[in-house]
Amino acid sequence: MKKVVSLLLVLALVLGVCAFASAEDKTYNVGILQLIQHPALDAATQGFKDALTEKLGDKVAFDEGNASGDSNNCAQIAGQLVSKQVDLIMANATPAMLACATATADIPVLATSITNYESAMEIELTEDGATGLNVSGTSDLAPLDGQADMIKELFPEAKTVGLLYCNAEPNSIFQIKTIEGYLTALGLECKRYGFNDSNDLASVVQTATECDVLYIPTDNTAAGNTEAIANVVIPAKVPVVAGEEGICAGCGVATLTISYYDIGYKTGEMAYDILVNGADIAAMPIAYAPQFTKKYNATNAAELGVTIPEGYLPIE
Amino acid sequence: MAQLLNQLPGAVAQGLIWGIMAIGVYITFRILDIADLTVDGSFATGGAVAAILITSGVNPWLATLIALVVGMLAGAVTGVFHTSMGIPAILAGILTQLALYSVNLRIQGIGTDLGSRANVPMSINKYKNMLVSLRNVGHMALDNPIWLMLLVTLVLIGIMYWFFGTEYGCSLRAVGSNQQMARAQGINTNTGKLVGLMISNGLVAFSGALMAQYQGFADVSMGRGAIVIGLAAVIIGEVIFGKLFRNFALKLLAVSLGAIIYYLVIQVVLWLGLNTDDLKLLTALVVAVFLAMPYWKDRILTRKLKGGKHHG
Repeated sequence: MKKVVSLLLVLALVLGVCAFASAEDKTYNVGILQLIQHPALDAATQGFKDALTEKLGDKVAFDEGNASGDSNNCAQIAGQLVSKQVDLIMANATPAMLACATATADIPVLATSITNYESAMEIELTEDGATGLNVSGTSDLAPLDGQADMIKELFPEAKTVGLLYCNAEPNSIFQIKTIEGYLTALGLECKRYGFNDSNDLASVVQTATECDVLYIPTDNTAAGNTEAIANVVIPAKVPVVAGEEGICAGCGVATLTISYYDIGYKTGEMAYDILVNGADIAAMPIAYAPQFTKKYNATNAAELGVTIPEGYLPIE
Repeated sequence: MAQLLNQLPGAVAQGLIWGIMAIGVYITFRILDIADLTVDGSFATGGAVAAILITSGVNPWLATLIALVVGMLAGAVTGVFHTSMGIPAILAGILTQLALYSVNLRIQGIGTDLGSRANVPMSINKYKNMLVSLRNVGHMALDNPIWLMLLVTLVLIGIMYWFFGTEYGCSLRAVGSNQQMARAQGINTNTGKLVGLMISNGLVAFSGALMAQYQGFADVSMGRGAIVIGLAAVIIGEVIFGKLFRNFALKLLAVSLGAIIYYLVIQVVLWLGLNTDDLKLLTALVVAVFLAMPYWKDRILTRKLKGGKHHG
C-alpha cells in the first residue's frame, strides 16, 4: 500500500513538473487564412511564417486555410480558427481579414496585402495609425509618389506622361488619380488612356505613343497583355514605367515595387510582439513596406537606349 | 473532439443560411425542372443590396427584404431571356449571371467616387442590429444566429407550403411535371416559369443578404459556385430523407437539412486535416457521391430481385 502511495506521489510530482515545464515552453497556435492561391499572397504568407519560425522555432504551430477565392469559405475557416481558440490569426487579403474581424472580437487579427485599412474596414484610424480594434497589420500600398519621382529621374526631358490603364478596374483608376497629382506637381503633363478590355487595348496603346513616356499601374488586364503592349511601345520607342514587376518584365523599362514577402515578414514580426511581448494590437499602427525595390528590364532598356542609373536591380 | 464540437454551431448556422438558397434551387431544379445558373449572380446581388442599404442606415430586416425583391427582378430577367427570347434555360441563366457581375459591382459602388466596388465591409461593431453574425455563433443566448435562422427557415417553408398549395401554385407544379399537359389545361407555361424563376432567385438573394451579414461583408465573388452548394443540399436532403418525408413542407425541410449536413461533412473533413486547397475537389466529390446514391441503390435492388428470381 505504501508503495502504491509513494508511486502515486512520484507520479503526481512528475506530472506537476511536466505541467510546469509545458507552461514554460508554451507553443503558440497561429491560424492563417489566405483568400486565394496567388503568387503575391503566397509570398506574403511565406514571409509571415518565416519571420515567426525564425523567432520562435518549434514553439509556433501554424493552422493554415486557403479559401480558394470563395468568400463563403473565408467565413467557414475563420469560424473554425476562432473555435479552435488559436492565439492569433493572420488574414491575407481583404475578404479574409473581414471574415476574421467578424468572427472574433478577442483573438488578435493581423492582416496583410490590404491597400487601405480605412476603406477596407470602413473605419477611421487613430492618430497613431492604429485601428483601435483587435485588428492591425501591413499595407501593400504601392509607392505611387516614388514611382512619379522615378519617371522624373529616368526621363528628365519628358514633358507628357501617358497613363495607360483598364477603366473597368476601380483599383487602377484610384492609382491613376493619385499619381496624376504627383506627376502634375513635378511639372509633367498627364494624359489618360483608358481601355475597356484586351480587345481595344492595342489601338488605345497606339494612340498613347504620342506621349514621351507611359505609366501603367498595377492593372490586371495590362498584366495579362504585356506582350501586346510591348509590340506597340517598343517599335514606337516609347518607354513604360510600371507599377509592379510583372508588367515591367513584359513591356516596361523600370519599376519601383514592394515585396509581398517583406510585408508578410513584417506582419510576422508584429505577431511576435503580440504573442511574446504582449503588445496591444488595438494600439499597433498599420505598417507599410519596409523598402521599395527599384528594378529594370535590361532587354527593353537596351532596345530603347535608356540609361539606367545606379541602384536598380535587373529583373530576372 | 471537443474542438470539432465547438465548430459545429458554425456549420449549422451556415447550413441554415444556405438552406434558404437551396430551397430556391429546389423550386427551379425540382419543381420547374430547370437548371438555373442565375443563382451564382443573384446570391451576390442579395449580399450587395443588403450591404449597401445597411451601411447607409436602413433597417437590416427591410434591407434583407429589398434584397429579396431585387433578386426576384434578376430571376425575371432570366425568365424573359428564356421564355420571350427562346434562349435555352441554362444559357439564359449564364447570361444573367454574367451581367449580374457588373451590376453587383455597380450596386456595391453606390455612393463611392469610383462608382464600382468589389467588396463592401459592414462590421458587427458598427452595425449592431444586423440580423445574424458569425461573431455570436458560439453564444448560448438568443443572439446566436441559429435561432433566428431556424425561425426564418420555418416561416419560409410555411409560406412556400401555402403558396404551392394554392390553385396558382399547383399550376406551377404542373408546368414542371408535364408542360404539354399543363398547356392543354390552359396554363400559361411561360408565365409559370417566369414566376418560378422569380420566387427562386428572390429566395437566393434573401439568403445572400443573410450571408453577407453573417460574414460581415458583401463581395462581388461571394456567389461563385453557389449552384453547386444548392444542388448538393437538394440532393443530400433527398437521398437521406426522401423515404421519410413525403409531404411538400417536409421535402423543403429536407433540403434545408441537406445544406446543414453538407456543411457538417465539410467541417468534419477539414477537422480530419484536409488541406483547404482541396476543398473544391472535395465539394465536387461529395455532390457526385450523393448524386450516385439513388443510382447505386437502384442497381443493388435490381440485382437482388434478379437473384431472387433465379433461386425461385
